[in-house]
Amino acid sequence: MPATRIHPKPRSWLWGILTSLRLTVFLLLILAALAVIGTVVPQDQSGNYYLSRFGDVWGRLLWRGGFARVYDSPWFLAPVILLAANILACVVHGLPQAVRRVRRPLTGETALLLPERGRITWAAEVDPHPLITAALSRELGRCRRETLPDKEVYFLERGRGRPLGPYLIHIALLLILAGGLIGKFWGVEGRLVLDQGEAAGTLQVGPRTERPLPFQVRLDEFQVAYYEPGGAPKEFRSDLTFIQDGREVSRATCRVNEPVGFGGLTFYQADYGAESTGPIGLTVQLGDQTQPIEAPFRQPVALPGGRGRIIAMRVNGNFQGYGPGVLLAFSPGAGHPQAFWVLKDHPRWGDQPAPYRFRVTSIPHRYYSVLQVRRDPGVWWVYAGFLLFLPGLYLALVRPAERWALVLAKTPQGKWQARLLGASPRRREEFADRQERLFMELKRGTPS
Amino acid sequence: MISQIFGAVMLIYLLAAILHLIAELWASPRLQAGGRLVLWLGLGAQTGALLGRWVQSYRLALAHFPPGGFFEKLRLVITHVPLSNFYESLVFFSWCLPALGLLAFRRHLKGYLGALTAVLAALLLAYASLGGVDSRIKPLMPALKSNWLLIHVVTAFLGYAAFALAFGSALLFLFQERRPRPSLPPLPALDRLIYRTTILGFLLLTLGIVTGAVWAETAWGRYWSWDPKETWSLITWFIYAALLHARLLKGWHGRRIAWLAVLGFIAVLFTYLGVSFLLTGLHSYLT
Repeated sequence: MPATRIHPKPRSWLWGILTSLRLTVFLLLILAALAVIGTVVPQDQSGNYYLSRFGDVWGRLLWRGGFARVYDSPWFLAPVILLAANILACVVHGLPQAVRRVRRPLTGETALLLPERGRITWAAEVDPHPLITAALSRELGRCRRETLPDKEVYFLERGRGRPLGPYLIHIALLLILAGGLIGKFWGVEGRLVLDQGEAAGTLQVGPRTERPLPFQVRLDEFQVAYYEPGGAPKEFRSDLTFIQDGREVSRATCRVNEPVGFGGLTFYQADYGAESTGPIGLTVQLGDQTQPIEAPFRQPVALPGGRGRIIAMRVNGNFQGYGPGVLLAFSPGAGHPQAFWVLKDHPRWGDQPAPYRFRVTSIPHRYYSVLQVRRDPGVWWVYAGFLLFLPGLYLALVRPAERWALVLAKTPQGKWQARLLGASPRRREEFADRQERLFMELKRGTPS
Repeated sequence: MISQIFGAVMLIYLLAAILHLIAELWASPRLQAGGRLVLWLGLGAQTGALLGRWVQSYRLALAHFPPGGFFEKLRLVITHVPLSNFYESLVFFSWCLPALGLLAFRRHLKGYLGALTAVLAALLLAYASLGGVDSRIKPLMPALKSNWLLIHVVTAFLGYAAFALAFGSALLFLFQERRPRPSLPPLPALDRLIYRTTILGFLLLTLGIVTGAVWAETAWGRYWSWDPKETWSLITWFIYAALLHARLLKGWHGRRIAWLAVLGFIAVLFTYLGVSFLLTGLHSYLT
């Protein structure tokens, strides 16, 4: 079977492929398959992660093949760009014709060209005019009327803009794709990790890449508010000061859902965390002996009894809403270390490695704030696409086109005869129903 | 108290389903009318309970955020719409089914289709009430405190519900095609119903994705993050876009469209449930 084309008469072989619906389906299938991979394979992890999780062969394949960042890989971008070309070709191909059709309203003359649906002839003495006006206004609504030589035409047109609908939708898609690519290639995206009181003048844009900012940002204070002690976080906020040429230019508070703009960049509250500011106080129980120890952050500490070491890996100001906690890694000499959280307010929770039992007495810590920083020149293109979706979807799907005409003329025998014409290519069934009802109404005045 | 009302509504929907089924089997218009009445009753009770939960969660919020002027109060009301966790989403999904069926597709919602809708709504409520889903009203986490929450969730779930109706019509179509029953709606009517419900669902899903993107842009500074839920909603959108193209450009009708509607609904279910349980991402507060 040859590739089916949306429109006949391709200008060339390449053009024929570019405008084919088959190409669209093919590209969408590829994109869908890649998207499935992208949701099943965790993205943006380290190479070792894939090796340990998927094994040597598959892990290497995923990592080397770019499936660790599917949405940035050529596998994904190439079909997206082809899809854009495909959509653009279809728009270029069909839009002029659609515009021409929309600009040509139905008139009494052109209505005569609609396909005929049936005829009714009235008896010689009957004047069908009142009947026709009543039936048409009841079934179709207000019709226009034109008198041509030797005939009268009643006609009605709805949804004339309908042919434009699909093109508006596809132009909207192109705008969104363009916006995405613009943002990808010309946008700025980075992270800013600030300790309380710290000022920074560079942005982290990649794993090891930094980008200087034309100003400095200082985190004056970071606060986490909880709904209740030990409960869920209610709000986190960063109080920021922007410094330019050594002068404090502007202050602002950045919250989730309330970004802050400065110098053409937008700052979003993305994350926060806690880091240790001093040794962590612990008690260690071995048998019936309990002993306090101090564990400096990320440094191994030998345990009493000599049966292993611990390292304080991470601190958390509010572990899953259950208060402060510390992540300890216990290594019993040989063998794999074991990591576990110990919570200050819930000392009994969680599995701990035998034979020790740990409790936390103090976790000195301070918060840091993670800000997502962006400038995306593509976002307005995307929004323009979103806005264009609305009229496009309305025209294409909600408002079907329909054209009706009723041509009234006298037969050579002097009787009135009406021909009903019309079409509604997208709503054939509804059209047929109304046509039938209309005939029923019109036939009331005819001899059966 | 309100959770118990949802439990009772589940029983009412079951009763409505049974009445619709018996009405179909015995060809009894009186039972059909009874089933319709019971379905309305269930919808009314569920609407009341939903509003009640809204008031409760607003009252709870007042303790934490004393509102100032009118607009702050309005914002507090909007953000505390009960659509912020998995339980509430199940309840709202189940509400959407009879609501959409009774309001937008009244003429078609009888017999097996009515029964299917009522059973699906009852199943969702049963899962919410008996499936061990946490039904407590929890204070709102910072990311959800946005005016976009209401419109995003409402459009998305109404879209899901429209697709569920399309799925129901598609099942009936496939069943009717294999073993025709005169009491079922004729094939062309079912075909048309699949198309119309799909159009509505497609419009609403598009709006859901768009509002979600705008919200993500204001909250995280990225309108699209390829989070699994986003990705799967896009895959779902592709499937229904394919259905519409197949019908409008290729003139597909009947069985093939019905199978596409079934496939689309499987994608909807995966977007809603599969993503939340099998994959993790930005929408993980649902679980």
